[in-house]
Amino acid sequence: MNDVLLVFLYALATAVATGFGAIPFAFVREISARFAAYSSAVAGGLMLGASFGLVAEGTAYGRGETLIGALAGVAFILGTKRLFGEHDGQELVFEAATGEGAKKMLLIIIVMTVHSFAEGVAVGVSFGGGVTLGAVITIAIAIHNIPEGVAISAVLRPQGVSVGRCAAWSVFSSLPQPLMAVPAFLFVETFRPALPYGLGFAAGAMVFMVLVELLPEAYKHGDRAQVATLATASAVAMVLFQQWL
Amino acid sequence: MRVTTLEPIAAVLLFSSLAALTAVLGVGPQAVGRAPSRTQIGWANALAGGLMLGVAYTLLAEGLSGALIAGGLGTLLGIGFVRVSHAAAGTGELDVDELESSGPGGGYKAILVDALHAADEGVAIGVAMVVSIPLGIAMAATLAVHNIPEAMVLSTVLTRKGLSLPRAAAVSVAVNVNQVLLAAISFGLLGLFPAALPVVAGFAVGALMYRSLVELLPESYHQAGETSIAVVTLLAMGVVVLLAGVAS
Repeated sequence: MNDVLLVFLYALATAVATGFGAIPFAFVREISARFAAYSSAVAGGLMLGASFGLVAEGTAYGRGETLIGALAGVAFILGTKRLFGEHDGQELVFEAATGEGAKKMLLIIIVMTVHSFAEGVAVGVSFGGGVTLGAVITIAIAIHNIPEGVAISAVLRPQGVSVGRCAAWSVFSSLPQPLMAVPAFLFVETFRPALPYGLGFAAGAMVFMVLVELLPEAYKHGDRAQVATLATASAVAMVLFQQWL
Repeated sequence: MRVTTLEPIAAVLLFSSLAALTAVLGVGPQAVGRAPSRTQIGWANALAGGLMLGVAYTLLAEGLSGALIAGGLGTLLGIGFVRVSHAAAGTGELDVDELESSGPGGGYKAILVDALHAADEGVAIGVAMVVSIPLGIAMAATLAVHNIPEAMVLSTVLTRKGLSLPRAAAVSVAVNVNQVLLAAISFGLLGLFPAALPVVAGFAVGALMYRSLVELLPESYHQAGETSIAVVTLLAMGVVVLLAGVAS
């Protein structure tokens, strides 16, 4: 098969895997404020852990560039939040939720989708060394994407979004991966210098989202000790999981 | 004096002691007659919390050396240690704001919490020194900076409870004695049992991360706006990660 088509199909498989992250939420019957708080804590922990991986990879390409990217990521979230805030006159509506809930869902989908652009470039650049290891890398990235789907579903499901739609939004958030992987694979030398900025941007946006939205929300409706336990355990589990892959 | 000419254990003692001593700077704002405002205390907590998260990240990246199950087990032990010590000391839901209206017991609780903090920070220095001396020095430098806002908060609580400023400064330094002690003990033990490194590193990661998420961050959100707290925390994390990257 043509190498370019192969890279695209591999990367598409990784995007579809993200949808599996919604599965655990099929077993949850009752959605209370407390459940939403602990879901936010788990999502926050997973995103903190995932951003550690992005930083580790970004700094391997360039420390200063990763930091600049991270600051741009923070500015991006601040700008997006402000943009949403300006629609106060007519309330923001998304899926079944309005106002704050809608804003939070849109933010996490935007953040995770944007982060997939950077990950897609990383996939393409790493494939650039040859496609022989392609299948192994694909399985690794596909499995790595599942907890990202958990993070998205953990925010969407408590807002009353169905499990199927949680899965669909999770897959959607990963679609930039195949789209970016192919050009990055074809033009490795062009894309490589941009990689630390992109990875830093994704990490900055994710950590900022955790600190400004998910954790404050979790503390508001959940017990502090449980929130801290869930977030710490999820973050470390995510890092260990990625190191294992 | 070149660092490399120091005996490793002397480096551990020297740098962990310097880190402990910097706490005295935390009384600075009060010494010049500017008691920190509630918002500034929030930022101080966020700074301390972000530095701890950065330290935890660095240990995760450098200290586990692929031993994932041992690292995970250590993390759970770290979380468990803090939870049990909170339950035993009755400091689980301690809040600086509530401390002001509490009796003299509140002051002791604040001291106890900081002394317990210093214990896992000491383990973090010890572990980092085992990974490499430059990383250990970077870790001690980070915790030295972390100790300043922490001492700023503690000394504010203590002076409001009627303690004189020099005494508040002395107590702020004294609570960090654990840091020196635990740095030396964990460094020595890991010298004897190097295979325990991932468990001990995991312990420090779990304890530090859990502490910043259970004490420092939730408090800071009460004291200042979510956006400014997020910016301060993220910048502190970023600086630690860069500093550790340069050192390792």
